[in-house]
Amino acid sequence: MTKPMNKTVLVVDDEDDVRLFLTTALIEAGFEVAQARDGLEALEIVKKQPPDLISLDLVMPKHSGVRFYHELSKNKKWASIPIIIVTGHARDDLGKADLRELTMSGPGIYLEKPVKPTNYIAAIKKLLCVEVTPEEDEAAETVAIQNELKNLVDGADPATLKKIKELLKGRSND
Amino acid sequence: MPKKRADISEVLWLQREVLEQLPFNVAVIDRDLDVVDANRSFTERFGEWRGKKCYEVYKKSGCPCDRCNALKTFEDGQSRVTDETGLDQDGRMTHYVVHSAPLRRTPDGPVEYILEMSSDVTETSKWQREYQILFDRVPCYVTVIDQNYRITRANEAFRERFGDAVGEYCYKIYKRRDRTCPNCPAEKTFEDGQAHRSNQVGTSKKGEKTHYHVMTSPLQRGDGRVAHVIEISSDVTDLKKLQDEMIEAERLAAVGQTVAGLAHSVKNILMGLEGGKYIVSLGLKKEDKQLIEQGWEMLERNFDKTTTLVKDFLEFAKGRVPHAVPTDPNQLVNEIIGLYRDVAAQSGVDLRADLDPKIKPAPLDPDGMHTCLTNLVSNALDACAMSEKENAWVEVRTRNEGGALVFEVADNGTGIDYEIKKKIFTTFFTTKGGQGTGLGLLTTRKIVQEHGGKIVVKSRPGEGARFRIELPRERLAGLAKQQSNDDIE
Repeated sequence: MTKPMNKTVLVVDDEDDVRLFLTTALIEAGFEVAQARDGLEALEIVKKQPPDLISLDLVMPKHSGVRFYHELSKNKKWASIPIIIVTGHARDDLGKADLRELTMSGPGIYLEKPVKPTNYIAAIKKLLCVEVTPEEDEAAETVAIQNELKNLVDGADPATLKKIKELLKGRSND
Repeated sequence: MPKKRADISEVLWLQREVLEQLPFNVAVIDRDLDVVDANRSFTERFGEWRGKKCYEVYKKSGCPCDRCNALKTFEDGQSRVTDETGLDQDGRMTHYVVHSAPLRRTPDGPVEYILEMSSDVTETSKWQREYQILFDRVPCYVTVIDQNYRITRANEAFRERFGDAVGEYCYKIYKRRDRTCPNCPAEKTFEDGQAHRSNQVGTSKKGEKTHYHVMTSPLQRGDGRVAHVIEISSDVTDLKKLQDEMIEAERLAAVGQTVAGLAHSVKNILMGLEGGKYIVSLGLKKEDKQLIEQGWEMLERNFDKTTTLVKDFLEFAKGRVPHAVPTDPNQLVNEIIGLYRDVAAQSGVDLRADLDPKIKPAPLDPDGMHTCLTNLVSNALDACAMSEKENAWVEVRTRNEGGALVFEVADNGTGIDYEIKKKIFTTFFTTKGGQGTGLGLLTTRKIVQEHGGKIVVKSRPGEGARFRIELPRERLAGLAKQQSNDDIE
């Protein structure tokens, strides 16, 4: 395990407030942070100084997240940079196809907006093999389980969905 | 010296020659139905006749015809004209019209011979049969209407659908009306002798609405007045129903996409609120006043965004029916150019118009179209400002193309990424950072669709964009008419 102070995260999002929020959380956690407002700007930053991890939105002007990711994949060195997706379109009709494309061929973690800072930092630390606090560890595990459950639920048949529903109801009653 | 009396043999020769030169068939039949004389044309048509009965020659039959017309003429001494079918000397079916005339030695004497004169109408008969088949068997409704709008002929499809309507008024049959229909294409054809068409709404016997596409054409000889009109109608009720269902399906799809877009906007705002909360908390914990202020400002911005989103969405969602009035497209564009001239100048953007001077007014909802063009021009100006190009321009165009009224808003600004272009009309999309709710393009598309038109975009990143609104004039006319119908109801 290493300390985060040596790690740089590139935050890519067209919303100023989202970038400010994520950047503040990362700096507070001890990371170095670079920012980009769109895919094009992000690509320029990666060319100059490849970051250790990229936090990526999907829908942006001047190169969408998907387009940016494809450019990244063409370069052997850049293709290995871990990516965490932070998007508002994860499971709706507009973003599902893009998200499926990325998660099948690339980064394995995504967070759906709105994102809680503890969950966000925990997920990033996991990806970078950085030491996490007990609180963050629990949060990261929760995020991982939630992601896995979402994938399983997406692919479940009606009968299985009913069982899952009964199980969750039973738990909530306890 | 008196004129020389004509020689009897000369007269006989002359009679024979006249008979031979006649261009139709002539035969003389006696009471026993023997052919006693015939001309060359007859012989060429039906073959050798000497020593034969008339039915043997005409019909190649061994017995007399049922209801023999020659015998009738022998009995009553009356001439008659009949249609007959026989076989020519080559055995081919042949149609001919026969004029049978009695021959008497004295005016009151008995009929001794029948003179039969016939013309071949085989070709005419064939064409007539084919015409009748065409008229009767075409799958749409065909009627012939006189100047009083009475139906004088009707084809099989029409008779099956409407019953025996000959003699009835067409407007009564189609629409159960007691007077001519407004915008009647037959009336126009009677007036100007030209073909016309229109869509009409009728009423069936069950009282249901039926939709027809009607075409009318004049029936006249030469340049005389139009005495009759042929009217051809297709029942397009089912087609209309399918179109309505498709529109409803498109509307539902748009609803789904709108909800998804709305969710995205809400999530971004929630992200901003979550971020603001986090930063304020962090500032309080670290006693960092600047951080607290930063977080609080974030909260304020996102509260404001919530308010704006709700207002814009209500504007988008309200079910306002377009109110179409004749509108001059060029005047509309000039108003908007005037509105944005100063804003464009401040940004260093050349805002200009390229208008078709011959363009005609069309039924449009002026407020709705004003909103559309305002949204597009505003977006184009923002795109130019964002690109920071020195020779930035925005051009608004009007055109007539292929029966459609076309508005275009083109710019040489930032252009649009392909991935983004796919979603540009299906999401609350904005490229203005924290500004705007992204509902402008959705609202624009909604208004255009309500006019029966469509909006398309062409663009490459860095090369500007071209938004194009296409409004088929036929649908705009339908919009105005539907509105007048609604007014009546």
